[in-house]
Amino acid sequence: MAITVFQNIIRFVLLMMVQIFVLNNIQLSGYINPYIYILFILSLPYRTPQWLTLILAFVTGLMVDIFMNTMGTHAFATVLMAFTRNGIINLITDFEKDENPTPSFYTFGIGVYIRYIVLLVFIHHTALFFLEAFSLAHFGIVIKKIFFSSVVSILLILGIQSLKKK
Amino acid sequence: MKNLINFLIHHSGFFVFLLLEILSLMLVFNNRDYQKSVFFSSSNTIISSFYNWNNYIVGFFNLSKSNQQLAEENTQLKNQLLDLQNKLEALQPSGTDSLSYKIPPEKQYRFIEAKVINNSTNKLQNYITLNKGALDGVKPDMGVINDEGIVGIVKNVSQHFSVVIPVLNPKIQINCKFKRNNYIGSLVWDGKDYRFASLTDIARHVPIKMGDTLVTSGLTTTFPEGIPVGTIENFNLKESDAYYEIKVKLATNFRTLSYVKVIDFKNAGELKELEKTAYEE
Repeated sequence: MAITVFQNIIRFVLLMMVQIFVLNNIQLSGYINPYIYILFILSLPYRTPQWLTLILAFVTGLMVDIFMNTMGTHAFATVLMAFTRNGIINLITDFEKDENPTPSFYTFGIGVYIRYIVLLVFIHHTALFFLEAFSLAHFGIVIKKIFFSSVVSILLILGIQSLKKK
Repeated sequence: MKNLINFLIHHSGFFVFLLLEILSLMLVFNNRDYQKSVFFSSSNTIISSFYNWNNYIVGFFNLSKSNQQLAEENTQLKNQLLDLQNKLEALQPSGTDSLSYKIPPEKQYRFIEAKVINNSTNKLQNYITLNKGALDGVKPDMGVINDEGIVGIVKNVSQHFSVVIPVLNPKIQINCKFKRNNYIGSLVWDGKDYRFASLTDIARHVPIKMGDTLVTSGLTTTFPEGIPVGTIENFNLKESDAYYEIKVKLATNFRTLSYVKVIDFKNAGELKELEKTAYEE
């Protein structure tokens, strides 16, 4: 238990540092803004109480917001993603009641894990970029941003996860 | 009653979700009232010191480029100095005739040199954070420029830092005019490309050409007259439209922004006060 909490704290700090100091400075062609800090929420153990997942998502989103001057947008998208997380895990996997796996390639299986990441990253990025634009006037740009950023975020997240040992 | 409590407990996750989403949306909307959220923004001292530290490290990688820019500027200034010295000598009267001496007009503008410590160009609403604040004399609504041209307008100021809304944010419009014929229009960013913005309010009878230069109009207290804004890249006039659609290539490269100057117009307060009383009467 204590080890799990410690692991998650380390993961949170590392992902935040990479997001804020490295990825937020990468501006490829204006359409690619990868956000990998959500991997923290995506890697919480399956049976984490829902209220705790949601509050952690809110705090994570708010931290990114504070550093990026985008009050509330990241918090909104991350909480939405955290809320849909358990539903999606239930939908694509069939774990027993007493199992409490930490989502990864090894516990979910490669295909299922990729599906899990793709769906949730897409939900997060869609909410995020629409809220950022806050009007349908920039519809075309927003769609492009969602698509390209999601692809890069998904590849980065899968890359990070594939480096991990069992 | 028991049923109600059971219902609430059973769906507690959903209620926490609703509560947090409403809270986030409130933050998003309150952000328009930017003054209130200065605590949460990157002009906050703690956040800024993180960025300062990051900038200290990254700054090393830009040193050679900054050096080169400084050297270029230095030579330019030296050339100007020489030029002016020559002129002055030519004008100096040979005798002691003090009548020809002219008192220089009072300097109205002062520049505050500042470094960019956080900057974005890829969002629909971009912001810049500077390492100078109220203690260095920066106040809200001051203009910000660099050697290439216009950058933006100061929005929030804390003790040591300030947040600038750059041209790359649809929240501000810059009042500017053609250098060639003084027609005035306003410049807005369309959220697409950090190199281009669009110019509105130019009526169809105005003669314009590709490559015309735009400068600030000097009609506001934020910017003095004649600071470069950009050049016309492309324009378009539909049969039915009363105004041109003009695409402007911005003079400033926001991607490489490093050192900027904040403009302190000394008589801004007096001017605004006078105009206010005149309009109210």
